Amino acid sequence: MTLLLEMKNITKKYGDFTANHNINFDVRKGEIHALVGENGAGKTTLMRMLYGMEEPTSGSIMINGKEVHFHDPSEAIRQGIGMVHQHFMLFPSFTLAENIVIGGEPKRSGLFDRKAAADKVNELGQMYGMPVDPWRKAGDCPLGVQQRTEILKVLYQGADVIILDEPTGVLTPSEVKELLQSIKRLAAQGKSFILITHKLHEVMEAADRITVLRDGVITGHMESNTTDEEQISRLMVGRDLIPMSRVANEPGASVMHVQNVTLAGAKGAKPLLDNVTLTVRQGEIVGIAGISGNGQSELLQVISGLVQPDSGIVELNGKDVTGDSVRAIREQGMAHIPEDRYMWGASREATVLDNGLMGHQHQYKKGGLIQSHKLRKVVSGWVERFAIKTGSLDTQAQFLSGGNLQKLIAAREFAQNKPFLIAAEPTRGVDVGAMETIHGELLAKCKAGDGILLVSSELTEILKLSDRVLVMYEGAIAGELSAAEATEEQISLLMAGGKRQL
Amino acid sequence: MTRLKRNLFALLQPIIAVIIGLLAGAIAIVLLGDSVIDTYAEMWNGAFGSFYFLTNTLTRATPIILTGLGVALAFRAGFFNMGSTGQMVLGGLAAAITALYLPGPGWMVLVVSLVVGMAIGGLWSLFAGYMDAKFGINLLISTLLLNYIASLFAGYMVAFPLKDQSGSAAMAQTPMIDKSIWLPKLFSGMSLHAGFILAIVAAIALYIFIQKSVSGYEIRMLGNNPFFAAYGGVKRGRMMVVAMLTSGALAGLAGAGEVLGTQHRYLDGALASADYGWSGIMATLLASSNPLGTAVAGILLAALQTGAMGVERNTNVPLEVASVIQAVLTLFVSARFGYAFLKRRKEKK
Amino acid sequence: MDQLFDVSLFNSMLRIVTPILLAALGGAICARVGLFNVGLEGLVLVGAFSAILGNHLLGNVWLAILFAIVCVMLFSLIFAYISINLRANVIVVGISMNFLAAGLTTFCLRAIFDVKGAYYDKNMMGLPKWDIPVIKDIPVLGGIVSGHSPLVYLAFFAAILMQIYLFKTVSGFRLRAAGENPVAAQSLGIPVRRIQYGAVLMSGVLCGLAGAQLSLGQVTMFTEGMTAGRGFIALVATMLGQSNPIGVVASSLLFGFMDAFSIRLQGFALPAQFTQMLPYIVTLVAMFFFKDRSYLKDAQRANGSSR
Repeated sequence: MTLLLEMKNITKKYGDFTANHNINFDVRKGEIHALVGENGAGKTTLMRMLYGMEEPTSGSIMINGKEVHFHDPSEAIRQGIGMVHQHFMLFPSFTLAENIVIGGEPKRSGLFDRKAAADKVNELGQMYGMPVDPWRKAGDCPLGVQQRTEILKVLYQGADVIILDEPTGVLTPSEVKELLQSIKRLAAQGKSFILITHKLHEVMEAADRITVLRDGVITGHMESNTTDEEQISRLMVGRDLIPMSRVANEPGASVMHVQNVTLAGAKGAKPLLDNVTLTVRQGEIVGIAGISGNGQSELLQVISGLVQPDSGIVELNGKDVTGDSVRAIREQGMAHIPEDRYMWGASREATVLDNGLMGHQHQYKKGGLIQSHKLRKVVSGWVERFAIKTGSLDTQAQFLSGGNLQKLIAAREFAQNKPFLIAAEPTRGVDVGAMETIHGELLAKCKAGDGILLVSSELTEILKLSDRVLVMYEGAIAGELSAAEATEEQISLLMAGGKRQL
Repeated sequence: MTRLKRNLFALLQPIIAVIIGLLAGAIAIVLLGDSVIDTYAEMWNGAFGSFYFLTNTLTRATPIILTGLGVALAFRAGFFNMGSTGQMVLGGLAAAITALYLPGPGWMVLVVSLVVGMAIGGLWSLFAGYMDAKFGINLLISTLLLNYIASLFAGYMVAFPLKDQSGSAAMAQTPMIDKSIWLPKLFSGMSLHAGFILAIVAAIALYIFIQKSVSGYEIRMLGNNPFFAAYGGVKRGRMMVVAMLTSGALAGLAGAGEVLGTQHRYLDGALASADYGWSGIMATLLASSNPLGTAVAGILLAALQTGAMGVERNTNVPLEVASVIQAVLTLFVSARFGYAFLKRRKEKK
Repeated sequence: MDQLFDVSLFNSMLRIVTPILLAALGGAICARVGLFNVGLEGLVLVGAFSAILGNHLLGNVWLAILFAIVCVMLFSLIFAYISINLRANVIVVGISMNFLAAGLTTFCLRAIFDVKGAYYDKNMMGLPKWDIPVIKDIPVLGGIVSGHSPLVYLAFFAAILMQIYLFKTVSGFRLRAAGENPVAAQSLGIPVRRIQYGAVLMSGVLCGLAGAQLSLGQVTMFTEGMTAGRGFIALVATMLGQSNPIGVVASSLLFGFMDAFSIRLQGFALPAQFTQMLPYIVTLVAMFFFKDRSYLKDAQRANGSSR
C-alpha cells in the first residue's frame, strides 16, 4: 500500500509545555488508522496540525512524498485532508445540501443553483452509501444524520484522508454501528481514515492500525490484529487498571426519590424523560451510565429544580419538592456538582472567593451582609485541602485551569454537607491526582451516611464508585444492575438499548 | 489583581477617559481656529473656578449621579435599563403634583413628594422589566420607547390639566411649588441643595449593597452568568424586581430632586432636554457600573457641561464642545471593554 | 382633511416609512452577520445632518445624498472597528455611537451653521417629487404610489435587491453563513471579518439614505435629534421581520402607517402628545409578538462549555 500521508518527527510546544514530542505518524491509502489516548494525550493537537489549524514547532508533513505547509484549513482541504470535528461545524438553519456544498457552491447564471446542489448530494450519497435528504434543515436532523452530512461535506471537498475526532460520543449505539460500517465501506473504496477515539471496542472493530499516544509521545504502534484492548489500555494509561471492589454500606432511608417523572420534548419528538423512577438512599452511591444525550442532563435539571417536570414527583429527604425553586430544594438538602463547570458551575469574571459562595450564600448572611471573614477562612481551607492552584482568593476564576476550577466547585459542594449530592461528570478534565482526591471525598461522604447520584460518561468511574448502576437510554431507565452484576458488557448492552441478560 | 487595586483602577478609569475626551475636544477647538489652552482654562473656571461655579457643577451632578447609580445597579444585574430619562420625568412630575396638592406641614410634604417620585420612577421601570420577564419584550428597546411615551405624557399633563394659568401662559409648566416644600439649599445664595447629599449617600449605600450584601452578590452573579446564578438558587424574577425597582426609584429621585431642589416646578422638557438620563448612563459606562466610580464620573461629566457653559460665555467656542468630548469619552469606554478583553486573551496564550 | 383614511394618508405612509425601512434593512444586514446594531439611530442622524451639510456645501441635492452616504459610511467604520476588531460589547458600542452622533451633529450645527436647535435654508433644493408616468393616472393607486422622492422608490427596490442577494446568490449565502456560525464559516475559508465590515458599511449606506430622506425629503431642514427614536423603531422592525428583507418591509410599513396615522389624528382634536405617542405604543405592542431570549443566548456564548 502506498504511503499517502506522513508526519515526520513532529514536535509542538506551547511555551514551555510540550504537547507533541517527536511524533512519527503515517497513513496508507484505504486504511483506517486509529489514534488513541486519554484526554490530554496530544491526539487533537496532532490532528490540528494536519488540518492546518496549528503549525508544528518542528518536523514535517508529507503528502504523497511532497512536503507541505498548511497555514489554514483551506490549504489542507485543497490537499485532500478533511476533518470532521467533535463538535459539528454545521449551519442549523441551512439545508443539508447547502451545508455540504458550501465553499464550492454550484452556480447558474451567477446565482446559487440549489437544485444542482441537491442532485450532487444525492449522487454522492449513492456513491458512498450514505444517503441524506438534501432539502432537510440541518438543525432538524438527528445527530447521526448531521455527522453523515459532515462526512459527505469533506468528501464533496475532495478529501482522501478523513480525520474523525471522537465521532461516536453523541451517537446512539445503532448510529455507531452504521458509522463504522460506512467507514469500512469508504476505506474499501480507497478513502483513508484517521480515527481519534478512546473507545477501545470501536478501535478493535474498525481499525487496521493503531497508534497510542500518552503525554505527547507515542507509546505503541501496531496492526490491530496483533493486539487486544487490554494491551492498548495499558499503553494508554501506563499502568494496569485495577478493578475496584468497594465495601458496600447498608443503605438507609430514601434520601432522594423521583417517581414517574416525564418531560416532554419538542413537538412530535421523543420525550426527554420517559416515566423515570429511581431512588437514592442514605449511604449509597447510585451511578447513572449512558451515552450523554439520553436524558441524564434533563433528569438532573428536574431533580435540582432548574426545570419543572410535566408529570411525576420529586422527593427530597421525604418531602415533596416537585416544582419547588432551586433555592428551596438546596435548602431542603441538596448539593450539586454540575456537568459543565463554565456554563453552570462558575462565573469566569468572579473571584475564587465569590465563586465559592454560590449555592449556600444565605448561610453566610448576617444582617443582609456577607460574612466575608468566615467565608475567606472556609474557602482557604478548601484551597489547602484540595490543592487548588490559584494566585489568591481574589483571582478571577477564568485564570484557573479547568481542573483546578473543578476542584473548587467540588470542594464547595462537598462542604455544604447536604444529605444528597448530585455529582455530574465530577472528574471531567481533571488530572489523576485530583481525580483520586474527589473520588476519595465521594466515598467518604457516602460512608458518612449521605446519598450520592453519580452521572458519568466514564464507565471506569461508574464501576469504581457505584453501589448500583442505572443505565439511561432515550430518556428512560433501561435497566438496573447491582455492583456485583455490573460489568462493562452488561452496561454496554443496556446502553445500546438491548435487554439485560439474566 | 487585589481588590484594592481593582477598586483604584475603577476610579481611575473615568479620569483616563476624560483625558482622551479632552484630546478630542482639543482637536475640535483647533479646527474652529481657537486656542486650546484658553478654551480649557475657561472650562476649568466654568466648572471649578469659584465656589459659585463649583456648587453649580455639583448641583448639575446630582441628577446625573442618581440616574447613573440606578443604571449601574441594573447593568450589574445584566439588565439594559435605558429608561432613566422617562423614569426621571415621571418621578419629577409625580413629585411636583404631590408637592402642589398634598396638604400638610412643609417638611412632611417634601419627604412624601420625594418618596412618591421614587415610587413612580420605580414602577415605570418595573413595568418594562415585567414586560421582559412575562412576554419576552426586549428590555433595551422597551425602556427606550417608554422614554418617549413618558415625556409625551408629562408634556400633555403640563400643557393641559396641570398648567400654570397665572403669569405668561406661554410656558407649559406647573405652578411654582410653595417655598416650604423646597429641598433646602446647602449654602445660602448657591444652587446646591440637599439632593446632592442624597446622591452621595445613595452612592455609598449602593456600593455597600452591591459588594457586601448577599442580594448584591446574587445580582452580580446574575449579571455575570445567569445559568450559574440559577444553579445556585438565585431567583431571576425577584432580582429583576429589585434591580428595576431600585434603578427606576433612583432615576425618579433624580427627577424629584430637580423639581424640588432646583426648578421648584415641573417644566415641560426641562428634565429631558438637559440629558441628565443619558449623562447618567455615560457615567455608569465610564465607571464600569461601580457605584463610587459612577459618582466620580458623574461629577466629571457635570464639570464638563458647566465648564462648557463657561467656555460659551467667554470664548467663541460653542458649549456643544462638551457633547463632542462626552461622546468620544463614551466611545473610548466601549472600546476599552474590548481592549481589556484583548489583553486577557494575550495573557492566556 | 375631514376624513380619517384617504389616499393622502397612504401617500404619507410611504414617505414616512422610507427612513424606517432603509434603516431597518441596514439593521437586517448587520443582524445577518451577527452584529446587533443599536447604533442605527445615530447613523441616521449623522446621515440627516450630512445631507443638509452636503447640500449647503455642494449646492446640489444629488451630490448631497452622495455626501451623506460617504459620511455615514465613515462613521459606521468606527462601529465596525470597535465591535469587530476590538471585540467590544456590540450593544455598548451602539449606544456610544448614538451619543457620538448626537454630540457631533449638535456641535457641528453650532460650529458650522452657527445656530442652535435647527437649521433651515429656504433656498436649499430638496428632493424632487417624481411623478411616475402611467401609474400616476391610476385612480387611488396613482395617488398613493406616484409623486414621491426618488429615495422612497429606492428603499423598496433596495429591499427586493437585498432579498435576492441574501437568498439567491452565493455571496449572500456565505454572508448568512458567517453570521450563523462564524467559527465554522472561518474554517471553511470564508472571510468572516471582511464580510462583517462589508455589512456594516452597507448599513452605513442605507442609513445615510434614510437620513437624507428625513432631512431633504419633505422640508429641507435639520433639527437636533430629529430621528426621535426612529432608529430604534427600525431595529424593532428588523427583529419583527426576522432580518428577512421582505419581512422587514412588512413590519416597517406597519410602523410607517402608525406614524402617518398619528399625524392624521392630530387634526381630530386629540392632543398632539397622545397622537405622537402612538408609534411608540404600537411598537411595544408589536414586540409582544416575538419573544426575545437573547440574554440567554449571549450568556451561553459567553460562558460556553468546558470542552
